Amino acid sequence: MLSRERWYERCSGSLVGGGVCLMLLASCATPGPPSPAPKRSVFLLIPDPEGKVGQITVTNRTGTQVVDQHHHATTVQSADDAPSPPSALDETEIKRIFGEALAAQPAAPARFILYFRDDSEELTPESEVSLPEVFRTIRDRGALDVSVIGHTDTIGTREYNYQLSLRRAKKVADLLAKQGVDRNILDIESHGEDNPLVKTGDQAREPRNRRVEITVW
Amino acid sequence: MRALPAVALAIVLVLSGAIAGASSAIGLVKVTEGMATVQRGDETLPARLGLALEEGDILRTGADGRMGVVLRDDTRLSLGPESEIRIDRFLFAPAKGSLGLVVKVARGVMAFVSGNIAKLSHDAVRVETPVAIVGVRGTHFLVKVETQ
Repeated sequence: MLSRERWYERCSGSLVGGGVCLMLLASCATPGPPSPAPKRSVFLLIPDPEGKVGQITVTNRTGTQVVDQHHHATTVQSADDAPSPPSALDETEIKRIFGEALAAQPAAPARFILYFRDDSEELTPESEVSLPEVFRTIRDRGALDVSVIGHTDTIGTREYNYQLSLRRAKKVADLLAKQGVDRNILDIESHGEDNPLVKTGDQAREPRNRRVEITVW
Repeated sequence: MRALPAVALAIVLVLSGAIAGASSAIGLVKVTEGMATVQRGDETLPARLGLALEEGDILRTGADGRMGVVLRDDTRLSLGPESEIRIDRFLFAPAKGSLGLVVKVARGVMAFVSGNIAKLSHDAVRVETPVAIVGVRGTHFLVKVETQ
């Protein structure tokens, strides 16, 4: 169906093409063996779980299309066929084509951020209070994996901060293990000063960047 | 001053090396139903819940199969029936500035929710299919690959 509509759109743009198109449509209307619809790959953009709409760029050697509106898709017949201009796909069609894959979509991991005192692996008092909630989530979900990633602000050298954020991550892992979390599911990492929550210049004191991010899968 | 004694530094470096070496896992299986497998080299493993994934893994589903996986940067991939994808490249070490995700969809249907790699680097995420390549900017999208 999609392909015939596209044919029509293309043809209506040119008189010569229009003639060919009408003939093709006419031949379709006469009884005879129905020709199978050409197979097309579909690339569909939908809002992410937070409701934001991003952008995909679909490219092959004959063309490129940017899709930046939700529920719009571009289709491609082969590597030698340029991606179609994006057009809206209705809800029923989306369900029919993509329903199974959408049903298999895993839940987003649960995330927590714990904050630290300046140049230290000691938690702030507020974050100490929220630690039990992290533990409960790990237990209640029967988590398969818990990622613990340490971060710092930009005071100090890059190398120093890599080590400091590693100490922070290890400290949190120790606290969780002490409460009964299996160490085998704890995955410790250090991102140093390179993955700030709040972007700053170098040598900037920023409490929001002194943190450990915990992801419970 | 934030100076660290040389001995302590050496110990920490050894520890961090051990951690980096231990985690070749790039994600794990969170949803599995019907015929669903993970091919690693010559080995084909049933896609059981919690199975750790590695770079280069090929995920496949049969006619009654579905599979959902979460990667370490929070990227979520899920497959409908009769689908096959390969996680060609997964690099997530922001401290080293190395970020990259390449997923090849050979056939079938995949849903994609991007994670931190896409958030941190606009051009680091690519989905390849036999008919076209998709550049991804922080988004949720669906692809069906059907070739002639």
